[in-house]
Amino acid sequence: MNIIEIRGLKKDYPLGATTVHALRGVDFVVNEGEFLSVVGPSGSGKTTLLNVIGCIDFATEGSVKIGEVDITSMNDRQVTDLRLNKIGFIFQTFNLIAVLDTVENVEFPLLLMKKHSKSEVRKKAQEMLEKVGLKEYIKHRPAELSGGQRQRVAIARALVTNPDIVLADEPTANLDSVTGASILELMKEINNTEKTTFIFSTHDANVLKYAHKIVKLKDGAIADGEN
Amino acid sequence: MELIFKIAWRNIQRHKGKSIVIGAILFIGALLMTVGNGVISGMEKGLTQNIIESFTGHIVLISDKNESDSVLLSMMGKAVEPINNYPAIKKILLEQSDIEKFLPVGKNMAITLYESGMAPGFAFLLGVDIEEYKKMFPDNITVIEGRMLEKGEKGIVIPTSARKEYFDYTNIWLIPEGGVVVKENLPEDAKKNMNELITKDNAVFMGSTESNTTTDIRLGVKGVVKYKALNTIWGHFTIGDIESYRECMGYFSAQDKVSELPKEKKELLSMKNENLDSLFGSESMFVSSAGKVDVSEIDFKKKESVKKENINLETGVYNLVFVKLKNGGTLKSEVKKLNDIFKANKIGIRAVTWKKAAGAIGSMTTIIKGALFLFVMFLFLVAIIIIVNTLSMAALERTSEIGMMRVVGARKEFISRMFFGETAILSIIFGCAGILCGIIIVKLLPFFNITSQNDMIQLLFGGNKFQPFLSITDIGLTVGQLVLVTFIAVIYPIKVAKSVTPLDAISRE
Repeated sequence: MNIIEIRGLKKDYPLGATTVHALRGVDFVVNEGEFLSVVGPSGSGKTTLLNVIGCIDFATEGSVKIGEVDITSMNDRQVTDLRLNKIGFIFQTFNLIAVLDTVENVEFPLLLMKKHSKSEVRKKAQEMLEKVGLKEYIKHRPAELSGGQRQRVAIARALVTNPDIVLADEPTANLDSVTGASILELMKEINNTEKTTFIFSTHDANVLKYAHKIVKLKDGAIADGEN
Repeated sequence: MELIFKIAWRNIQRHKGKSIVIGAILFIGALLMTVGNGVISGMEKGLTQNIIESFTGHIVLISDKNESDSVLLSMMGKAVEPINNYPAIKKILLEQSDIEKFLPVGKNMAITLYESGMAPGFAFLLGVDIEEYKKMFPDNITVIEGRMLEKGEKGIVIPTSARKEYFDYTNIWLIPEGGVVVKENLPEDAKKNMNELITKDNAVFMGSTESNTTTDIRLGVKGVVKYKALNTIWGHFTIGDIESYRECMGYFSAQDKVSELPKEKKELLSMKNENLDSLFGSESMFVSSAGKVDVSEIDFKKKESVKKENINLETGVYNLVFVKLKNGGTLKSEVKKLNDIFKANKIGIRAVTWKKAAGAIGSMTTIIKGALFLFVMFLFLVAIIIIVNTLSMAALERTSEIGMMRVVGARKEFISRMFFGETAILSIIFGCAGILCGIIIVKLLPFFNITSQNDMIQLLFGGNKFQPFLSITDIGLTVGQLVLVTFIAVIYPIKVAKSVTPLDAISRE
């Protein structure tokens, strides 16, 4: 079953007098529970594609459906709520809230959802941190953690809301190979156990062995079709 | 909400420098506002208390014929209309349970005449029954030279300000009858020329009402006085005995009330504004320029009076009745109540509040308070600009954090609340500290017993002692201003923070 359907997606950026065509008409679908990798050289449009899918950026043309909903016609509040309820994000630079400790960072999206009691939120966050191997670090602030630990916190935060999709933009780029591999193993494990759909961008060939499907981008377009 | 305040509080701690700058501004603003309000309220309270206790009472009764309620300090305005039926008024006032005391007085402008032939000057003249005056306003006057008027005695006591004005105009230094020049009371320029100093122990006054300016009277100076508070204002009022005042103003006095006007007065009144040249054919030198004069309602006295013993002063003409209420009473309702009674009894009198009667002086506290308010608001405006700038910079510096929150699912409202929360926490902590310190300062200042004999400073003190005072309303006003500042100061930074998109956070990385 398609969880994401992208048709004729174009994204242009004005750059002074010229226009940069970041995406030039991308078409593909993502099935529920897939572990999809978007690959390509720098500037190929990987991050732009993930940003548009994650409602962080808006398409210039084309449609992006998440489930049955076309996100290109949504307003700010609707896409914010969609991000909160349906999508988890993992970034290259971890992007944690500096003033919150580990467990509070993980609790953050749950508290925004306002669906659970305070004790439930704490329990869920602690369970998720245990799952990513950070049970002992729940009171640490991001600055007190290593890069790998921070990325685990980001993964826990992305997964704690049970999202349909997790978007990971080069999640291992800032990590050493061992830590990077462990992060990918973790994501793969969650994909297997929770059936969460993962889309991650990378230009690291070692990462590709984890993917069910690979989308190759070149100059804003799919290079060789879907693999 | 807990999450918002948790993040806000930790951000305050994280950005200590900025927080302290904003907090210090809020602290100083709140402190200045509180102390300023205390000073102004003290002035207002002092002025109110001093004016009520020492000069006007709470309510002033005036003739219905007065066009303006401002009857005390109007310099060149219309004369204060006479009250001819004081006994009827007294009867009504005695029946009122909320009234503590009342005092009828004559008050009008008088022309001061000089033998040297120089142009006449002007003086406020207050005609009173001195015994009743002392009962109504005990201890409001200090005798500097000579003595106070005595019961039934004719003459004046002249305040220091009025004497100085007289001297500046005439170069004559008034001293009490039988008194000598007290050097330390002389103006500096007079001290230098003591040998040339001309002294006099009496002054000639002539009525200056619109209906009569014909009778002059020489009154001996019994004493030189100073009002204990607000001598700047009240020091212009020369106090004389009521019978002399009436004689001066050409009113019927209690001593020699007669119903028939002298022939020459009738002629004068019938002339209105015409044939003024004919005045110089008579013995009168001045005449009113007023158009219509209702002869039937104004009692004029004969120039030659006959002295009687045991006269009832209250049967004569007055201009005002000062009324003091018990425990302050409720001023507005009491004024209304009295006016209703006067109207029902067709007494031809209306009651006005002391503020209205005092005119500009009554409004002075409001004006000064307004000026201070504007000054403090200016300070707050500066504070707002600094806070806006600091918070806006903070918002821009925190683009990644804000954008990340937006990525994870925080709505714009959450970001707004977070920024507002930070400013609100700073306002509450530092603003309340400022208000608290201000309250302590205002409470401590009276213990320093700061007094002044300087007239202008007394005006600012609202009396001779600096006694700042804070009411709940004043504190509420400061809190209100602080809240206003907080709201205004965060509008723009919130706009900046709300404009941060999730993409901005990603782009920054």
